[in-house]
Amino acid sequence: MDGQPSGSGEIRLVNVTKTFGDMDAVKSIDLVIPHGSYCCLVGPSGCGKTTILRMIAGHETPTSGEIHIGEQMVVGLKPVQRGTAMMFQSYALFPHLSVLDNVAFYLKMRDVAKAERRQRAREMLERVQLDHLAERMPAMLSGGQQQRVALARALITNPRVLLLDEPLSALDEFLRLRMRGELKSLQNELGITFVHVTHTQPEAIALADMVVVMDHGRIDQADTARHIFSRPATPYVARFMGGQNVLSGIVTETSGGVLAIADASGPTYAASASGTMPAVGTPMSFVVRRDRIALTKGASAAAGEVNAVNGRVIATEYQGTYVKVTLDVASREAFVANIGDDTYFADPLRVGDEVTARWATADVHVLERADTGAAIDPYAEDAA
Amino acid sequence: MSLPSQGRRPWTFYVLSVMFTLFVLFLYGPMFIMFILSFQGPTGGLVFPMRGFSFTWFEALFGQARTGDVGGAFSRSLPLALIVMVLTVLISVTAGFAFRRRFVGSGFLFYTAVASLIVPGLVLSIGILVTARFLGIPARWWFTGLGAHLSWTLPFGLLIMFAILGRLSPSYEEAAYDMGATRWQTVRHVVIPIVFPGMIAVALFGFTLSYDEFPRSWLTVGSLNTLPIEIWTMTTNVTSPALYALGTVTSAISFVAIGLAIGSIAYIQHRRSKRT
Repeated sequence: MDGQPSGSGEIRLVNVTKTFGDMDAVKSIDLVIPHGSYCCLVGPSGCGKTTILRMIAGHETPTSGEIHIGEQMVVGLKPVQRGTAMMFQSYALFPHLSVLDNVAFYLKMRDVAKAERRQRAREMLERVQLDHLAERMPAMLSGGQQQRVALARALITNPRVLLLDEPLSALDEFLRLRMRGELKSLQNELGITFVHVTHTQPEAIALADMVVVMDHGRIDQADTARHIFSRPATPYVARFMGGQNVLSGIVTETSGGVLAIADASGPTYAASASGTMPAVGTPMSFVVRRDRIALTKGASAAAGEVNAVNGRVIATEYQGTYVKVTLDVASREAFVANIGDDTYFADPLRVGDEVTARWATADVHVLERADTGAAIDPYAEDAA
Repeated sequence: MSLPSQGRRPWTFYVLSVMFTLFVLFLYGPMFIMFILSFQGPTGGLVFPMRGFSFTWFEALFGQARTGDVGGAFSRSLPLALIVMVLTVLISVTAGFAFRRRFVGSGFLFYTAVASLIVPGLVLSIGILVTARFLGIPARWWFTGLGAHLSWTLPFGLLIMFAILGRLSPSYEEAAYDMGATRWQTVRHVVIPIVFPGMIAVALFGFTLSYDEFPRSWLTVGSLNTLPIEIWTMTTNVTSPALYALGTVTSAISFVAIGLAIGSIAYIQHRRSKRT
């Protein structure tokens, strides 16, 4: 439509670097986002996720590397030539134009006759159920309504890629969950590629077919939401996405696909591994999901017992369907067990109680990278 | 939101009220006295009491009496103020946009522009006259006078534009670019409409600062006076209420200019908040 590129919305970044001054915002990134997928770029502030989005959009030019959309190398092209449309964080609705004129802006820039562009803008507004507010000014709309206008304004360009920069961060919790659902169903309906930047892990998990976790200008892991959550690649991803306990030790034995790992502070762990076995003496990190931990009262872990740690309860937090129990286990990081509410309230714990945490070897997931001992990520405690 | 009531007002409230009333009287009292006295009867003088009520002195103002060339001065001051207004808006807006991106020497350029706020107007006036003489350029209100006025209005215009553009989020321009607008279309359909109230403020400053400028006009306008110089001359040789009539007329023109500016800003904001 309108002579702009159509076709595949597959995005390929090849060795992309972006430098601001002497700071690398994005370092040699390779990434393929499949056509028609919902991709979330997630990471803390300043990790480079917004820079990637803006480079795909054409609002920043990579210092080096190539960006392809479909068959096209798009570096140097204007957004409309790329077939991308962006929804800005604060929506950037033009304050001097009515909702209808905001949506019709793209058509006006292409000299589409007034009657036709108003007609098409009205159809787009109907699509986001805002046709009754067409004559309003943006300042008179609620946050959710503004977001829908911004969506309509972006979609009228008929893009093959929609880029969303923290689209839900300006909304209150209730609206955020509702708009999250609407974004997902819109993407299903349109079948175009959505790239969504967020710093909220649950948002990424809930929406994305593909989650890209970033840190300091690099991609730590790009995978399905399920894998990112339950099979993180690095200690950073595990901590950032939450829901995991990260433990470390030294490999002491490998036999029959099972690793024995010894923690310097005492406990020994077992983990099943596939592929090439690491050598004895290798530092190793692994994760155990918080909801796969069983607690028993009393410090009963015997010397030599695997996958059992003694600890002391330092906090309990009721979460509705489960209780989050935080333990001090004599390591540098708190250990968390999420206990189902029925199980927990059958025999509740108090702060200061001695307990033993146990888990099955099958629930251990070995990380590709050992914990380097770098500062524990402040986001680690954010997600349940 | 109002502060919680704390019972009786403290004595400081009354002291400060009196001080504020005196301040307002001091500020506007002389002006209103001048307004009243300009309607003095034909036999009245420069001071109270009023001897009747007439428009005599307004007529004298534009007649061929010995009151000086008020009409001529006005016919120079008004176009000068309008030219200064247009140039101030044009230069301040474009310079404001240039300063949004740091360029080589931008800091130096900014300080030189603002420095002319600090230089005493009379000194600047002498400097311009001497330079013009040296270059063999005769002093004219539309040339040397115009330059002197711009040295006064541009720093104000620039500072206002900085404040306005500082609040203009770059995402508006990016959104326009995202939707295929060219640079010129972005300026025309997005940037100008958004900063338009600010441009009116700059225009208002440009007009009023030029219209009543004395020190910078003094030596730079040449042999034909602008209105403030004409008024100053009259104070030394006119001893009739025609002087007050002139004050009333020029004040009225200033008020009309301010009213137009504020009115148009209010109109734009009204249109933005409620679609007509």
